[in-house]
Amino acid sequence: MLFTTPLFILGFLPIALAGFHVAGRLGGSSGGLPATLCWLIAASLVFYGWWNPWHLPLLISSILVNHPIARQIGRSSTPRLWLTAGLTLNLGVLAIFKYADFLRQTIAPGVPPFGLALPLAISFFTFQQIMFLVDTARDPDRPRPTLLSYAAFVTFFPHLIAGPLVRPAEIIPQLARPGRLDADQITDGLLIFLLGLGRKCVLADMFGSFADTGFAAAEAGQTLTFFEAWYATLSYALQIYFDFAGYSDMALGLARMFNIRFPLNFDSPYQARDIADFWRRWHITLGAFLRTYVYIPLGGNRHHHTANLMATMLLAGLWHGAGWNFILWGGWHGVMLSLHAAWRRLNRPLPAPLGQTITLLGVILAWVPFRTGSVTGISAMFAGLSGLNGITLPRMIVNAMPPLAAIAQPVSVMPSLGDARTLSFPEVTACLLLGWCIVLALPNIHRMSINLRHWALTSGFALSVQAVFFAPHVAPFLYFQF
Amino acid sequence: MRRLLLCCASSLAIYLLLFAGILDRPLTLGALQARIDANLARGQQIEGPKLVIIAGSNGPYSHRCETIEPILGLPCVNAGVAVGVGLDYLFARWETQLHKGDIVYLPLEEAQYARQHASAALGPDAAIMLRHDRTTLAAMPWHRITAAVFTGDLRGLVMSMIEMTLNHDGFHDPRASLTGTVNAWGDHVGHTPALGQPNQDVLARFMPYHPDGAQITNGYGSTLIARFLDTARARGITVIGGLPTGFADSPIAAEALDAIRTLYRAHATPFLALPNLSRYPRTAFFDSADHLNEQAQQTHSVAVANALAAMLDTIPTSTQAILYPTPMPASNPTPMPASNPTPMPASNPTPMPAMPPPAVTASLSGPMP
Repeated sequence: MLFTTPLFILGFLPIALAGFHVAGRLGGSSGGLPATLCWLIAASLVFYGWWNPWHLPLLISSILVNHPIARQIGRSSTPRLWLTAGLTLNLGVLAIFKYADFLRQTIAPGVPPFGLALPLAISFFTFQQIMFLVDTARDPDRPRPTLLSYAAFVTFFPHLIAGPLVRPAEIIPQLARPGRLDADQITDGLLIFLLGLGRKCVLADMFGSFADTGFAAAEAGQTLTFFEAWYATLSYALQIYFDFAGYSDMALGLARMFNIRFPLNFDSPYQARDIADFWRRWHITLGAFLRTYVYIPLGGNRHHHTANLMATMLLAGLWHGAGWNFILWGGWHGVMLSLHAAWRRLNRPLPAPLGQTITLLGVILAWVPFRTGSVTGISAMFAGLSGLNGITLPRMIVNAMPPLAAIAQPVSVMPSLGDARTLSFPEVTACLLLGWCIVLALPNIHRMSINLRHWALTSGFALSVQAVFFAPHVAPFLYFQF
Repeated sequence: MRRLLLCCASSLAIYLLLFAGILDRPLTLGALQARIDANLARGQQIEGPKLVIIAGSNGPYSHRCETIEPILGLPCVNAGVAVGVGLDYLFARWETQLHKGDIVYLPLEEAQYARQHASAALGPDAAIMLRHDRTTLAAMPWHRITAAVFTGDLRGLVMSMIEMTLNHDGFHDPRASLTGTVNAWGDHVGHTPALGQPNQDVLARFMPYHPDGAQITNGYGSTLIARFLDTARARGITVIGGLPTGFADSPIAAEALDAIRTLYRAHATPFLALPNLSRYPRTAFFDSADHLNEQAQQTHSVAVANALAAMLDTIPTSTQAILYPTPMPASNPTPMPASNPTPMPASNPTPMPAMPPPAVTASLSGPMP
């Protein structure tokens, strides 16, 4: 079930909230905790199974296996053995479902594919449980949650599908509170949810349609000219930001309605001063996971700093998908982080606007291999971006500004731009200006004043209604595939 | 919560005010609306029976009423506009202009049969009705009205501002010089092979999408067409189904073709299928898989006209009594300024060597007398 569907908004969510409230009252003075948790688990399993109920057993088995392993880690005299077993089990499941075909294709391309369907959100719920096992091993004296609390934490539908990757210690205590609806929390949560809905349905999907045209042409090996390539890449950079940040906002808002506070996952990443700052603002919970559970255990910045950075970022790339393009994206970010670390050691800080521009350019260009799965697509897109295929502009623009004829060839339409219509160039230009103004000049919704949030809602709510209930096609969240 | 609800209500009010009262798209939707209005005006001018071609853009690009009219001896209006314009809207607009004895030829694009309910309600006609044609909108079912009210998205908002600015500044629309223009019959003219030459590379690679038989049968478009067929028959209007033009190397799937034929047969409507099933080599097309170039348009129109003439001889329509006792000479419609902004010179009727010979016989799948 998608957060953006009428079924979720008008059906599932009101029922889930009402059931949560009723379950909370059932327990009387105790707050009806088991009933609340049971209700949350049941609702979350319905939410998860709606897409493909055949993947429910994997999720349930994963919970039923990890909880006793964590108990053994806490109790046993050989906790490292149990931790190793738990990690092997979780990573093994992930490897089988997500990476087996990738490994097969890499090692033995002639062998037929295994054809295993990738269970929805397997990366998220696996990493979530790895966090739990490692945290338990690090602090065995910490109070251990009951199976019910643990299951409610893992399956809690706002973060089950695409995060944020929340620390068990942050969320499980909140689940132990009585389940009662709070009008202020509902209002806050609904406001954040609606603003996230707008970012996803109105902005991300619009930029997605522009990006799709250009990247589809690149993957088909067609020639992209300078503006076609740049507009597609800039559109994709906006699409993935609005898509994922919008999803995270919706998750935060939904959790708030159930009295749960999730950590911030996006903090205006394209406003980052440098690449390290970018990773403190982009997918914050994944960055924190990689830092805490991969980078620091590898040695952090104490020794082999560059190698640790590269290994961590390559893993980040691989986490996003089983493909060389994702590894290339992770490696690209690893190189940028390493260069940044080396530059910092020189102690010659760049002027802030220059640092921000270089960072933004690096991040935007890194989206090309992330978006394009083929060498053909990547090379076609970079050829266009670098101007190797020339610059074309609509004839009406060149006619209006004749000096442009010196640098651009006038054409009737640009076939890989927007809908390839006469007015597609001004249309995409205006939309990109709007999108980049929003991400570069405005605060994100978590930094907005309450008044600004209400203005944002006023400007976007009706467009969200249009997109959810009337647009014939709403694209699924990009991060569902991860 | 009260403030949040107030924001939501204000947002909806501002949205309605903008899209229903202020924003407009004079260069795109305005052009479509002008085309529809001009066609209707021509239909209104014709007294007595007429042939009306209703389709998507393959109507005006691939069919030429100017050619068909003298062959049939029947005034003709090319009322096809664009594949995205809702059929219910076109049928509703033409309902008042169609009379007993009229003939409607429907070489509809496959997509028009297969269109789904949701996308059909959000075509360009929704915005046209909301902004300029609320009379037709008011007569539509409630779901269509609601969808029309919520047809505007962010892209529409941005494009409206661009188009309104360009229109205000006297923007010279380059489309006439790029694709040709429209004559008084509603035919697209001037889309010569030479003008279409730059599109040949794209056309050579283009892979048309064909809906399958189930999509045709279950499409919301098919429901609308069936409803129109029944209404027209009840009013003494002869409807003849037909096939859109397309690439010879990318035919309509046999099951989809069967589904189209079955739709007409089920509603006692004759169906015209030329021996070549309206398929032509890619080089005969102008800028898309639906648009023949002007030469091929004329060749195809001759074939359609001859087939229609043969077919009308066999169909007992109320037109026959009116039409054939006194065959009408080729009409000379008064050019309408709105529909013919830049008249094109008479096109060159040189036969195309790559084209198959024009078909002069039709296969009838409709009810025979």
